[in-house]
Amino acid sequence: MNEPLRNLSDLDRVIHEPARLLLVALLSSVESADFLFLLKESGLTKGNLSVHLSRLEEAGYLRVEKTFRGKIPHTEFRLTPKGKTAFEEYRKSLGPIFEKKKGRG
Amino acid sequence: MDSQIESAMKRGRGYWFVDGFTEILAGILFILLGGITLLSGIVPPSSFLSQFFSLAASAAVVKLVGLILAVLGLWWLKDRFTYPRTGFVREKGVPGTQLLVFLRNAVLIAIVPVVGLIIPLFLVPAVRGAIFSMPVWFPPIVGIFWGALCILLGEWTALRRFRLLGMVVMLAGISVGAWQLALGLPNVPAEALQANVLSPLPEALWAPLEESLSRMLAGVGLLTLLSGIGFAVSGLVTFLRYRKENPTPYREAE
Repeated sequence: MNEPLRNLSDLDRVIHEPARLLLVALLSSVESADFLFLLKESGLTKGNLSVHLSRLEEAGYLRVEKTFRGKIPHTEFRLTPKGKTAFEEYRKSLGPIFEKKKGRG
Repeated sequence: MDSQIESAMKRGRGYWFVDGFTEILAGILFILLGGITLLSGIVPPSSFLSQFFSLAASAAVVKLVGLILAVLGLWWLKDRFTYPRTGFVREKGVPGTQLLVFLRNAVLIAIVPVVGLIIPLFLVPAVRGAIFSMPVWFPPIVGIFWGALCILLGEWTALRRFRLLGMVVMLAGISVGAWQLALGLPNVPAEALQANVLSPLPEALWAPLEESLSRMLAGVGLLTLLSGIGFAVSGLVTFLRYRKENPTPYREAE
């Protein structure tokens, strides 16, 4: 197997799924965000969004925080250090794949 | 694919500006500051209004109170209008080391042109004339600096309107400078410029210096006012579009 293909097979499959990749990318640029923001920005259904968030939480990439804003209960999602590292690694591993492709093209 | 990831990240960074409130409030603050600065240069020096404007313009407390009120107003508006419609985002704080690097760069950016101007003033008498043409070159420099900041913000958040605003602010700065040039520069006797810089300022230079400074201040005031109008209009358009797209707070049934 050549180098770019090996890189492709080494990609983190939890993050590689398009919807989860979008959620992680959104959360990587902010401290935390609530369910409504992720729902509006991702365009996913509520059920789908919940499933993907749970999957990220199970992988240890996401932390769910129940807080209060005033008297209203509020749930925020933030990437864990493990999630941030996984996302950075994922972006790094994408680099050589696309560079090789450009070089050939 | 990486550009799509980058685009999603920029959406998160630009969320703070999604509703236009920041621009509206910044615009109002700029209009007030620009208006006060401009009027303080226009009204007769001995009038009551002049005393009021010069006091208000120089009192840092007015600016500070305005800024605090704007920030509090922004939080209040977002809490009641934006977050129930499109969700809440906690923006990333700036780490201490990054803040120090930013402050160091800001100080360097501020110091280099000042030092670059002061040293030739001592060494080359002909350059001293630059002080008397400040109304022409100072507002364009300020406009280009503010505009560049706007364009950088546009790049950081992928919001095209900030790039456009940046260009408008730059153009406004250059236009103010061109307008001042069209009005003509203060008349400076060439021999007075040759005087030793360490000796007291020659009397012949007092009036042109005063005129240069007050016209420069009026120019910066006008630029601030124009930039404020630009920000307020941009914010209002953004707000109206946001309200049209999100007319009511989000409900479970949606």
